[in-house]
Amino acid sequence: MGLLQGASELFPVSSLGHAVLVPSLLHWSFKQSDPSFVPFLVLLHLGTAGALLVLYRDEWVGLIRGFVAAAIRGQIRTDTERLSMLLLVGTIPAGILGVFLESRIKGFFANPEEAAAFLIVNGMLMLGFEVLRRRSERKSSAQGVSRAEQEGQFATAERISFRAAAIVGACQALAFLPGISRSGVTIGGGLLAGLRHEEAARFSFLLATPVILAAGLVEVPQLFANGVPVGEYVAGAVLAGLAAYASARFLLRYFRSGRLDPYGWYCVAAGLVSLGLLALNL
Amino acid sequence: MVIGILCVLAAVLYYEGILQIFVTDSHAAHHTTHAILFAVLAVASFIAANFAREKVY
Repeated sequence: MGLLQGASELFPVSSLGHAVLVPSLLHWSFKQSDPSFVPFLVLLHLGTAGALLVLYRDEWVGLIRGFVAAAIRGQIRTDTERLSMLLLVGTIPAGILGVFLESRIKGFFANPEEAAAFLIVNGMLMLGFEVLRRRSERKSSAQGVSRAEQEGQFATAERISFRAAAIVGACQALAFLPGISRSGVTIGGGLLAGLRHEEAARFSFLLATPVILAAGLVEVPQLFANGVPVGEYVAGAVLAGLAAYASARFLLRYFRSGRLDPYGWYCVAAGLVSLGLLALNL
Repeated sequence: MVIGILCVLAAVLYYEGILQIFVTDSHAAHHTTHAILFAVLAVASFIAANFAREKVY
């Protein structure tokens, strides 16, 4: 479960959707209604956030310094300072929607059939993002050149507008629907805002870290509840962290020239197969 | 600045359990998550106010 969550959290394929679907399809014994499930999920998320912090450790040091400097000065002077403020602007809508909507939305959509249906929607969103991206590539005369040159015509994360950062951040709330991928919608939103694929992934991962970390830390007291097998949970978190680190490295390399289409097709296929299996009760 | 002060107030009221709107458990003694959210919003509001003030060089 740790490996599954760590890998699927950053891939644009919905970790929550997989966390609902896979145990149900494989007839694993634990259920989401189990009181020990939430602390387990919390630790897995902390593992993922830890992996992202390790991956971007130097960048986070610069971002925090830049944030403090720009906040005190009341003025942005460098790209790092701008990026730190963009992350704040992107995190606020996700935080507001997360606090006020998460439990209500999750309560409505926690069954495998709905997760499979939303996985198909997620796949179609990924494919839709790429259709729109190809259209803007045609507009910017990026046809007939190499993929690297095509990507070079688009912006870095520091150049995204504050309004776009807020919209991309708000899109994270869609991921409370099991089957909709947080990284998928934020990478897609980044693409629509004119970012390169690799930069959209970088912005998505940087945006994810404070949200995942905050959500995890708030739930930490539940870990000290009686009867929670902390050792096993920590092992799951370490595995989640390792899987998240490896998948982030892979995705950043992949998105130098790759697109969202394969993940879109995977989500559509996985959603359809899951719906079929659940209908047949296999 | 005013929004920041209101957010600080909301954070304190949520933490003390006095404010009970938009919460799932209306009998809880503390609403830590809501308090943290409003504390962050307060910080963001003060930063925005600092950005908006007229700079003298």
